[in-house]
Amino acid sequence: MAKNDLSYQKAMDELEAIVKKIEQNEPDVDELNDMVIRAVELVKYCKTKLKTTQEQINNNLEELD
Amino acid sequence: MEQLSLLDLNKRIKDCLKHNLDDSYWVISEIGEMRFNQKGHCYLELVEKRDDEILAKNKATIWSYTYRNLSGWFESLTGQTLKPGLKILSNVVVSHHEVYGLSLNIKDIDASYTLGERAKKRLEILNRLKEDGISDMNKDILLPLVPQRIAIIASSTSAGYLDFITQLEHNTAGYAFRISHFEAIMQGSEAEESIIKAILDVNTHVEQYDLLVIIRGGGATLDLECFDTYGLASHIAQFPIPVITGIGHERDETIADIVANTSLKTPTAVAEFLISGIKEFEESIDSLFAEIHDYVKNTLKEHQTRIEYLSKHIKYISENTLKSNSAKLSVIRKGIQSAAIGRKKILETLVHNYIQSIKLNTNRYLELKNKDLRNISESIGLLDPKNVLKRGYSIVRLRNKIIKSARDLKEGDLIESEFKDGRKSSKILN
Repeated sequence: MAKNDLSYQKAMDELEAIVKKIEQNEPDVDELNDMVIRAVELVKYCKTKLKTTQEQINNNLEELD
Repeated sequence: MEQLSLLDLNKRIKDCLKHNLDDSYWVISEIGEMRFNQKGHCYLELVEKRDDEILAKNKATIWSYTYRNLSGWFESLTGQTLKPGLKILSNVVVSHHEVYGLSLNIKDIDASYTLGERAKKRLEILNRLKEDGISDMNKDILLPLVPQRIAIIASSTSAGYLDFITQLEHNTAGYAFRISHFEAIMQGSEAEESIIKAILDVNTHVEQYDLLVIIRGGGATLDLECFDTYGLASHIAQFPIPVITGIGHERDETIADIVANTSLKTPTAVAEFLISGIKEFEESIDSLFAEIHDYVKNTLKEHQTRIEYLSKHIKYISENTLKSNSAKLSVIRKGIQSAAIGRKKILETLVHNYIQSIKLNTNRYLELKNKDLRNISESIGLLDPKNVLKRGYSIVRLRNKIIKSARDLKEGDLIESEFKDGRKSSKILN
């Protein structure tokens, strides 16, 4: 999935899917490596999104005060 | 024929009345006309009507002292002033004056009768409004959430109006109101018509207003009859935007109050109601906003926790997967190692056995060979002519040639025999 198409929800869904895969499918080491790389990317994306959302919300709220 | 002076006649009438009538009567009548002289005496006309036809009519008086007591007490009980058109039960003394003629002097008025009449009349009007299907029309309109465009019908000189305006314009919360005033007479016989006219004026641009306020405040007067009429009530009831009344009275509601969307006791109460309504709205907005704020905060927190968990969990499970892989690997490695060691031992044993076997075989072989060698050596020793000579044999030569057969010799040959210890010559005899 290209990063541009990513949304928070999609990222979360993919993360959950990765967890499920690792837990249930017993991936081989090559697959595991790819999965973890992707998971780290997704977690970073989600964290950034949360942080910017938090900042935006705070900014918006400050405007009201 | 007896001739009387007019005065005599009048005296006789007076006497007759005095002797034939009781001291006083309770009489039901309607006040027709009413006026006062300079001394404060009240001169009235009492009438009895059937529809518009006058069935009976009498002059009546209330002396000023009595009037002052009666009227105040009557007003306080009924909320109405004594005035033309009012139906009363009065205690009257019938008197006849030589100059002024027959007159009823009112000593007392039974306020409860007027109250009952009024209640009856009110009930009739309320029933009529109900029958017309309009009594709840204005009540059924929802009050706007934030009414700020206010049409107000009031007398601009009344204290109630001024209080109302001041209160709205200087509300501490600073809410903006756009007030449009429609002048009306708020009491007396012209009030009903005047108020209805103002209502119709508001109605021509009713889309410009959120609600209509009708107030009548201040003053001590208790004349509320115009607010109990069918005409005004039906206009209020059918008005297309909510009507709020603040008519300023403490007693039971007028019909205008009953059909209005909201009725409050005083103009000040109306102003307070409007301001507090907006305040309530603002507070509800604030609390909704706070809820949104909390929701957003909680959601973000939840997601943060979830992300933290997921990243830790992924780390944990991928490490576990790696561990289990490496455990498998180590099992395999150990397997290989132990297999290799086993194999090596086997091979070593084999080699050792080979070596042993080779050693053994080699020794045997060598021994065998030695033996052979020894045998050969022995054999060789036995064959040595010297050894043979030692055993008693001798070599016969003829002219240095070894003779192996007797036939090679003939008589007389000189032969040489070799012994172990030397040679001897001899001669063949036969």
